Amino acid sequence: MTEAKAVDAKRAGGKAVDTTRLARVAVTLGGLAAGYVLVVGLHRAEILINDYYLQILIWVGINVIMGVSLNLINGFTGQFSLGHAGFMAIGAYVAASMTKLMGMPFALSLAAGGIAAAAGGLVVGIPTLRLAGDYLAIATLGFGEIIRVIILNLDVVGGPRGLPGIPAHTTFLWVYVIAAATVVVVRNLIWSRQGRALVAIREDETAAETMGVDTTRSKIMAFVVGAFFAGVAGGLYAHKITFIDPSQFDFMKSIEALVIIVLGGLGSITGTVMAAFVVTFLPEILRAFADYRMIIYSLMLILMMLYRPRGLMGTAEFSFRQLGLGDRRPAPDKGGQRAGRSDGPPPVLETRGVCMDFGGLRAVSDFSMTLRQGELVGLIGPNGAGKTTVFNMLTGLAEATSGRVCFMGEDITRRRPSEINDMGVARTFQNIRLFSNLSVLDNVRIAFRGERLYSMTEALLRAGRYATQEEQIYGKSMEFLRLFGLDDRASEIAGKLPYGAQRRLEMARALATKPKLLLLDEPAAGMNPQETQELLELIRWIHERFDLTVLLIEHDMSLVMKLCQRIIVLDYGVTIADGAPAEIVKNRRVIEAYLGEEAV
Amino acid sequence: MVIQQLVNGLALGSVYALIALGYTMVYGIIRLINFAHGDIFMLGAYYGYFAITMFNIPFALALPLTMVLAAVTGMAVERLAYKPLRQAPRIASLITAIGVSLLLQNLGLKFFEARPRPYPRIMRTVVWDLGGVVVSNVQLIMLALAIALMVLISLIVYRTKIGKAMRAVSFDKDAARLMGIDADMVISITFALGSALAAAGGMLVGFYYNRISPTMGSMYGLKAFVAAVVGGIGIVPGAMLGGLIMGVAEVFVIAFVSSMLKDAIAFAILIVILLFKPAGLLGRAVREKV
Amino acid sequence: MLLCVENLHVHYGAIHALKGISFSVDRGEIVTLIGANGAGKSTVLRTISGLIRPTDGTMSYWAPGAGGTASAGNTDRTGGARGAHRADAADGAAGRQVNLCSLPAHKLVDLGISQVPEGRRIFPNLTVIDNLELGAYLRRDKAEIKKDFDTVFELFPRLKERRLQAAGTLSGGEQQMLAMGRGLMSRPNLLLLDEPSMGLAPLLVKEIFQVIRRINQSGTAILLVEQNASMALGVARRAYVLETGSIALEGSASELAKDPRVQAAYLGSA
Repeated sequence: MTEAKAVDAKRAGGKAVDTTRLARVAVTLGGLAAGYVLVVGLHRAEILINDYYLQILIWVGINVIMGVSLNLINGFTGQFSLGHAGFMAIGAYVAASMTKLMGMPFALSLAAGGIAAAAGGLVVGIPTLRLAGDYLAIATLGFGEIIRVIILNLDVVGGPRGLPGIPAHTTFLWVYVIAAATVVVVRNLIWSRQGRALVAIREDETAAETMGVDTTRSKIMAFVVGAFFAGVAGGLYAHKITFIDPSQFDFMKSIEALVIIVLGGLGSITGTVMAAFVVTFLPEILRAFADYRMIIYSLMLILMMLYRPRGLMGTAEFSFRQLGLGDRRPAPDKGGQRAGRSDGPPPVLETRGVCMDFGGLRAVSDFSMTLRQGELVGLIGPNGAGKTTVFNMLTGLAEATSGRVCFMGEDITRRRPSEINDMGVARTFQNIRLFSNLSVLDNVRIAFRGERLYSMTEALLRAGRYATQEEQIYGKSMEFLRLFGLDDRASEIAGKLPYGAQRRLEMARALATKPKLLLLDEPAAGMNPQETQELLELIRWIHERFDLTVLLIEHDMSLVMKLCQRIIVLDYGVTIADGAPAEIVKNRRVIEAYLGEEAV
Repeated sequence: MVIQQLVNGLALGSVYALIALGYTMVYGIIRLINFAHGDIFMLGAYYGYFAITMFNIPFALALPLTMVLAAVTGMAVERLAYKPLRQAPRIASLITAIGVSLLLQNLGLKFFEARPRPYPRIMRTVVWDLGGVVVSNVQLIMLALAIALMVLISLIVYRTKIGKAMRAVSFDKDAARLMGIDADMVISITFALGSALAAAGGMLVGFYYNRISPTMGSMYGLKAFVAAVVGGIGIVPGAMLGGLIMGVAEVFVIAFVSSMLKDAIAFAILIVILLFKPAGLLGRAVREKV
Repeated sequence: MLLCVENLHVHYGAIHALKGISFSVDRGEIVTLIGANGAGKSTVLRTISGLIRPTDGTMSYWAPGAGGTASAGNTDRTGGARGAHRADAADGAAGRQVNLCSLPAHKLVDLGISQVPEGRRIFPNLTVIDNLELGAYLRRDKAEIKKDFDTVFELFPRLKERRLQAAGTLSGGEQQMLAMGRGLMSRPNLLLLDEPSMGLAPLLVKEIFQVIRRINQSGTAILLVEQNASMALGVARRAYVLETGSIALEGSASELAKDPRVQAAYLGSA
């Protein structure tokens, strides 16, 4: 294709994307407007929707906001938070205080409530997001209760007697608009690079961290955004019910939101919306069994987890694709790909006297090594010799008990993995750590590196650099996939790929972070001789093509011998040899420790 | 005054300890936070109540009977609701546990009625004044019973074969199975023991505070859970230590600060522990293998 | 015949880990399974042990004759020789054939199969003695158990020195010894060893393999999974080479050790 034609094709592709985007915005706004008109129209005409049902729809809306905001934290980021009611309470009380006690306009009060709740999310998130799993759940539960008790002791807002007489500002319009906005904003967040980082954290936090995601920042961000919307929901709640007291925001309230997202499917916004309808209408449906309502409710919860834990929608979503307005992707740029090349003195990985102690056990003793730019070095030794521990120390997943690790002249001994990855170190894992439930393409996209990537505001508003950069990310990621023979499987779920393809994907993902140093942990494990040969050629090729320095842990001696220019041998945490392959095979100590007498 | 509150705190703390033991043993063996445990405690209180009032069973028999009934309840819950989810993601078990808790609570509300019930008087309350410190026979019996049960549980866990099996399963379930240990049965027994202890706690609370209600499980359960975490979740002596600490702390806060904050203190302690020593006072941090 | 595995298939989700492998172990012999990391060796042992369920194939085991079970403390089981030597059913005496495919893991010890898992997996917070006792969990014959303690301590004198220490404080080599001792405490007919040399210094590996020989000499059959091909082939009678879930080669150990393909791939000659 000539230069001119290529440029034209690109422009044409760009235009196609623009009209699709316009169409989607139109459909969204139109659909929302139509929905509103329909409901209000039916109500006015007194068909189907009477005053009573309109009120219920308002509750549905509030539940949608609570559910979607909680799903952002629990479902998409995988952080099990059980204190969502606390944020709702903050929002409710702040908003109510502002309108009732200070006479502020409703919109401002709602915003203030949301912001106050967001601040609460920050205060709660920073300490608790260090914890994981069960501990995080308990801690958030605790904070939710603490918030409630603090309010209980604030006489200025009524303490245990509560706050009555809140003006009834909440109308269907307010709730509808805000609920719709919540859905759009959260959706835009999820389907953006920031959102991909969140989902990566859910899938495998360690892998995400080593692919450059600052997991702490991302988790806190999700928490704060979720808390904000919960606060707004609280404000709407307060101005609907007109009387609030702390007992309304107890653990049960958090559970209600949890039930909604579990029923709808953790990780599905569509599901949450549907579930909000079901859960809000359920008490009405079960009115006949009023007495047994809660019993049936809890039974449903148990049965659901036993038989359909993925909920109504699992992780599926209603998407524009179903309306024929899916992303039209331009053909990916077939140009060459160059990884970051450093200017200046040849980069070096240097470790000096690095030791690792686990309790009383010295796993690695005095590991000193120097890697020069462009080297391809193998690290071998029996199982348990400390090789993966060395890798963990080089990538920030473990901190050396003593010694120094320097990358490109900078001390990285105590840096966190995402920083180290940013600086140019990438790795693969002994037991493959892909984001198994995500697509092949997403696995690579998450790792994507670039200059001045678009900000969160641009993501939320789908403005600015968002569209062009998303195209770029897509194009470059597809390129990577093609280099590794995976482009025809781009939309497949990573966890379902055959073993060899998964290993290749892990390498592709690591390379997408534009490293200067690549650490491969047993890449040939589980491969037959044929696959191993292909792997060998692949590693050779990427070593040259991407101008990399490579350090490789392997047990497959044939691979190591053919591939590596230099071999370091580790035994029982101690370096027993460091030299060219030919020397290593003849080294007495190495033979005894690893290769075996027969090899001589 | 302080000694007085200490005595009161130990009495309350011993109940928390009894409940906490159940949480910690179950968490230790299958890494599940059994939200429904507090409601087993509540059921224990009610089993005892009905045993004494409806069937006129004397206390000395009612207590063991209640414990056995609760053990059966606990094992049933485990088999029906938790065992099927052993391979499922943790969040599924947690939600199921929450569901069971809600179910038990609401079954209680439905069938036992929401009104709090006074516990039957089984003995005359005798009170002694020891130099300004008031101690009642109920408190003494409570403490004695609780301590006896804790000693019993410790003996079982640390001195018997089945206790060894329990510890083996909690360290490494698969390795234990390779030793011929029936892990499923060991898990059931763990639930049985924990539930029995909680039920005993329930009856003791009934006698001490003289009122029970179907929702009493939540607060006690939550605080006992905090106690287990404070001591080091999964560690048996930790649960006892944590329970006593929580009891004393709560009583002190009521007496010297404000009774409104009595629930908050539990959570405040929880947050502090989670931030500074998440493995608990007696715990050891576990590292993830990369 | 002691153990006969035929056409065994194991899947981890979509991954086909074992693709129809067949092998056997006879009474009293050492058979070894060698292969690269990820080839599926540990999967084989975990499937035999019942920790993983196969998707297809059969696993048959000939349990000792009527009454000869581990927990009975039966006279069948007290052989005069050091260690255990079960009443042999090979001469036509009634031994029963058991299908291992549907057996839960904890039932295997009763049948006389004991596994020393990969990575040792001793119970770190329990003492050496406690760990060994757990190995004899199903047994009730106190006197015989005491004898077996002595046997284990004789095989591993270092464990005797450390018998009251918490197992977690032992070195890697000592933990391996403990794991093997623990496996022996149930007086197995068939001992499954999963990578005993893993993470051990060369001298210790030699020691361990000498012990393996001694255990075998007293009558226990051993199925040995190993990464250290040379040591494994040196101690086994027969061997199978596992490659990405299939058996690539099989034969007597001495033949395989001389096979150039095996030498190239597993014995390090480039």
